[in-house]
Amino acid sequence: MAREVLLPRTLDDLWEIFHAEPELHLYAGGTDLLVKLRSQPPLPSGSPSPLVCLERIDGLKGIYEEDGLVCIRACTTHSEIMKDPVIRQHFPVLTKVLSLLGSPHIRNMGTIGGNICTASPAGDTLTPLYTLGASVEARSCDSGRLMPLKSFILGPGSVALQQGEILYGIWIKKDHDFNIHHFEKIGQRKALAIAIASMAALIKLSGEGTIEKIRLAWGSVAPTVAVSHTIEDALTGKPLTENVLRDAMPLVTDALSPIDDVRASAGYRRRVATNLLLRLLQYKDA
Amino acid sequence: MKISFVLNGKKKTTDVEPDMRVIDLLREHLHLTGTKEGCGSGECGACAILVDGESRLSCLMLAAQLEGKKITTIEGLSKGKRLHPVQKAFVENGAVQCGFCTPGMVMTSVDILSRNPDPSRDEIREGISGNLCRCTGYQKIVDAIEYAAKDKNR
Amino acid sequence: MKRGKQVPFRIGTTTPRCDACTKVTGQEKYAADYYGDHFFWAGVKRAGTPHGKLLKVNTEDAKRLKGVVAVLTSEDVAGSNRVGIIRGDQPVLADKKICYAGDPLALVIAENKEALQAAVGFITFDHEPLPGVFDVEEALKKGAPLVHEDSPEGNLLRLVSVETGKGASAFDECDVIVEGVFQTPFQEHAYLETEAGWAYLDDSEQLVVVTTTQTPFRDRNEMAPALGIDVEKIRVIVPYLGGAFGGKDGIAIQCLLGLAALHTGGVPVKMWWGREESFLASTKRLSARMRYRLGVKRDGTFHALECRAYFDTGAYAGLGETVMTLGLEHAGSAYRIPNVSIEGSCVYTNNTVGGPFRGFGVTQVTAAMEQVIDMAAQRLSIDPLAIRRSNALEKGDKNCIGVTLTHSTGIKKCLAALSEHPLWREKEGWKMKAEQFKKRGVGIACMAHAMGYPAVVPDFANAKIEFTGEGRFRIYAGIVDMGQGNTSTYAHIAGAMLGQDTSVFELVQPDTERTLPSGSSSASRTTYVYGNALIIAVEDLKKRILDKALHLFCSAQAEELMLVPGGIRHREGKKKVSLRKVAGLFDEPERTCTAHFRSPAATEMLDRIYLGPHIIFSYAAHLSYVEIDMLTGCAEVIGYLAVTDAGNVINPQAYEQQIQGGIAQGIGFALSEDYKVANGHTDTNNLATYIIPTAMDVPDMMSVAVDNVEETGPFGMKGIGEISISGPVPAIANAVADACGIRIGRNPITAENIFQALQKQDDQEKPR
Repeated sequence: MAREVLLPRTLDDLWEIFHAEPELHLYAGGTDLLVKLRSQPPLPSGSPSPLVCLERIDGLKGIYEEDGLVCIRACTTHSEIMKDPVIRQHFPVLTKVLSLLGSPHIRNMGTIGGNICTASPAGDTLTPLYTLGASVEARSCDSGRLMPLKSFILGPGSVALQQGEILYGIWIKKDHDFNIHHFEKIGQRKALAIAIASMAALIKLSGEGTIEKIRLAWGSVAPTVAVSHTIEDALTGKPLTENVLRDAMPLVTDALSPIDDVRASAGYRRRVATNLLLRLLQYKDA
Repeated sequence: MKISFVLNGKKKTTDVEPDMRVIDLLREHLHLTGTKEGCGSGECGACAILVDGESRLSCLMLAAQLEGKKITTIEGLSKGKRLHPVQKAFVENGAVQCGFCTPGMVMTSVDILSRNPDPSRDEIREGISGNLCRCTGYQKIVDAIEYAAKDKNR
Repeated sequence: MKRGKQVPFRIGTTTPRCDACTKVTGQEKYAADYYGDHFFWAGVKRAGTPHGKLLKVNTEDAKRLKGVVAVLTSEDVAGSNRVGIIRGDQPVLADKKICYAGDPLALVIAENKEALQAAVGFITFDHEPLPGVFDVEEALKKGAPLVHEDSPEGNLLRLVSVETGKGASAFDECDVIVEGVFQTPFQEHAYLETEAGWAYLDDSEQLVVVTTTQTPFRDRNEMAPALGIDVEKIRVIVPYLGGAFGGKDGIAIQCLLGLAALHTGGVPVKMWWGREESFLASTKRLSARMRYRLGVKRDGTFHALECRAYFDTGAYAGLGETVMTLGLEHAGSAYRIPNVSIEGSCVYTNNTVGGPFRGFGVTQVTAAMEQVIDMAAQRLSIDPLAIRRSNALEKGDKNCIGVTLTHSTGIKKCLAALSEHPLWREKEGWKMKAEQFKKRGVGIACMAHAMGYPAVVPDFANAKIEFTGEGRFRIYAGIVDMGQGNTSTYAHIAGAMLGQDTSVFELVQPDTERTLPSGSSSASRTTYVYGNALIIAVEDLKKRILDKALHLFCSAQAEELMLVPGGIRHREGKKKVSLRKVAGLFDEPERTCTAHFRSPAATEMLDRIYLGPHIIFSYAAHLSYVEIDMLTGCAEVIGYLAVTDAGNVINPQAYEQQIQGGIAQGIGFALSEDYKVANGHTDTNNLATYIIPTAMDVPDMMSVAVDNVEETGPFGMKGIGEISISGPVPAIANAVADACGIRIGRNPITAENIFQALQKQDDQEKPR
């Protein structure tokens, strides 16, 4: 039996649908949900729960600024974000990540909210957003709440959305003083790749080459994004040199808890994610 | 469910199950078999079409999502017997072998050139990186897109 | 295309393919593109478990579902229920045993896709699980579980051995001996078009099957006894394929489609495998484990070779033993080696099903041979190019199985061209420019590839060309065009002989009722064998046309006339008549010319190797530039050169298409492709987990064709559909070794494999 597919135009339409149909599947770009549905054989009887496509809700699309914060609404596609001048200027780390996500088609369809709510350990957008200290805003028909992205992601495939709530947008502070935005992803090929390991880094590097501030996050090497204040503290105030980075590497190894899968072993993930730290040396004389 | 959209320049209203995949709608109901399915999960790009001028994977879209949109498929690209410059470039540069990736590859190339009229070879490679081809090794496809860009700029 | 400006085909001049226009506009109709007003869908329930005794297939629940037309099991197969061109060991629908996870248990016919999918999900089966066998060497041990209890030699499908000169005892006379174990994995063809088809019983009760196959005539012969119908009652039609590369050689979907069509009450039935089913149930390149030993004299002369190979054919024989045999025939690559001892075992396991894949066993052995050569060169401090040049085969030499080469043998020319190429001459400078944490290496490899079938298998084609009433030329191609463009090249050949351009040609794709039997689309044979037959037919037709035209040019001799685009002209006079006009003078039976050609084959040493040796080979030398990221182990191919002895090239563009495409598949095989099977199950079951290259993973490739002529070839050409796939694995492995001193011995050479090898190297170098 066919599923109903609903295309609300406004958030109010969406709340009404929520009210009428408590059991439903939300999707934005469809690049995850429709792949999942494909592998599930259809039920021979009964009516499957409706699909709600969020792509037509204008209130969930676009990027705007408010009080020194940039809000990326959840259903903004990766391509739209990549093209946005504010994002390019202030958050190049995010632009870089998105240019490596999936493929051009996937970026035209997939949304940042979808990538976050899928909450894959390999979700590409998560590491830069962690380093940027992003918050997310969840909304329901009568309320909204803001929380750090870190608290929103509960584990693989699990986020802190309650019944009747959706992810409305991602808030990032516009003014930061990081002058180095770095991202690297290890995949099995250069495009259409799911990360074996990835690392995002933001650094405030002084003219003399001292790390004044640093934020680091690793993807695909733990159930959720791996961060460690111990490492960041250990590097802060130090010159950006090979020895300094090498000294911090054991701390990275300790912070990771990767698994084996079809793409790579846990051991490789751990060591390669650690090695990615050395890539920061390219900024030494930058 | 009745949906209305513009298909290859013509208004179309059709009655379909809303959860039918767009690729099935095109191939099975509208008899436009030029759009190919190679994986059904967004990994190969053979099913790429243009929706409001931008590439979409028709295997990951449901019919209901077409409402009010402008769709272009491979069948809508040439004007009568006159090939689109990208199609002509594919033919002349030997970018077609088995041809199964070709419709998706051509639609994607049109999309690339519409936003970047003079792409570098690396930009072309990135632009078609969501379209797998198993025959050509991509080189002649890159040649063709480069050629089409020059042809258009000429 | 370029109408108005009619340029006739010319041998050696690039001409766009005849099929490009219909493909680029989406008009070309592939097997998956058949739909009708009223038709059924068919699909298969597969075992999902690798080994067991099949007790019962439970279909009752599925049969009761709305929209289900029929659910068939082996009991509904009226014939032998067995296929397999050599051994006939594979069931159409499993009856007694499950031998691998992809075995088909039941065939469902339904009114729509939804009912089909639901019904397949409702089929269950009772079985007694059996311990499986998943490793070739384990499979040969005493007491190993047997994949086929009735196989005469247990899990050993075939043992092939060849010894020449003093065999392995010649190692005593060598100054340096190098050895290594090399492994290549199962490789999935990953054609974009998964198996598909459309079948029905026509008004005369003939079974018509439109499907994806490289072997229409052979299929018909296999389907008839398996399904219990007369071979004359089967018609196989093959549109252009959306890629095949060997993966559509032999029975896969054909019998299932046919069986379904016999149970629909005359309604056409459509089948189209999903990507996962295609991965599970199609054949793979046989995985191989090869122990190699090469003995060399101090001056670099190859003196002795030992090869011990195990090829995994999986659950069924298919063409597995011929794949291995062709590999063994090429175990010594393109070199003179006076003493060899080669032995290979082709082995049954419960892993998957092995089968042909572009390269056909040669890709596997070349990976090993070309690496031990570099190991020897390193030991002797001889340049890897120099050691290859001094041992390379020449016409008149004996190849590694002792067969004298009597045809064009261009490997020395390939190596000479490679040595003069900027990529070779500028390699040291390029290597020096590696950035921080990067290392660069350059590797080369040679290869040979036999053309056509082995000596005892008749390799023939029957060309057919028709001069239509409209004055056009219709070529009936009995050999499938799976994307390589062979049928376009037929038009090229005929066009060059008849002075015509693309616009007057029509190509009829294989149809057992309309085209003539011409063998499989495989073995780098399609243009060579059909082209040779076509030349004879076209000469005949040309003579007929000119003779007829004489009636329109009073007093002229046939020699005074010439064919020009669209017509016939007097060589001196201005008079031109159209082809259409001449065509009007033909009686129906005169319009068609046919010709038979049988490829030359070895007449001596037929017992040297299973099915006899080959005598015509193409050759190539490849070079790769590889950069290793020492932090991650990632290897990237930065540059690639292929120099090929293809004989005389007919259409440079079509030639480059084959070379570039083969290299790209070879790069995938070298760096990322790995159809992993663990205990009979795979996790690499789709294009997200089985990693083929994207446009960003393949560099721009350079391709050079050396000047050479194969005297027996149509216009001097040789088949080159396969050869280029065998270069990348050894060329890249040799480049990796050159870059950072590690030799992994198995592909894919993934980042993780390189990284681990680098770690090991580090650990060994550390002082204890």
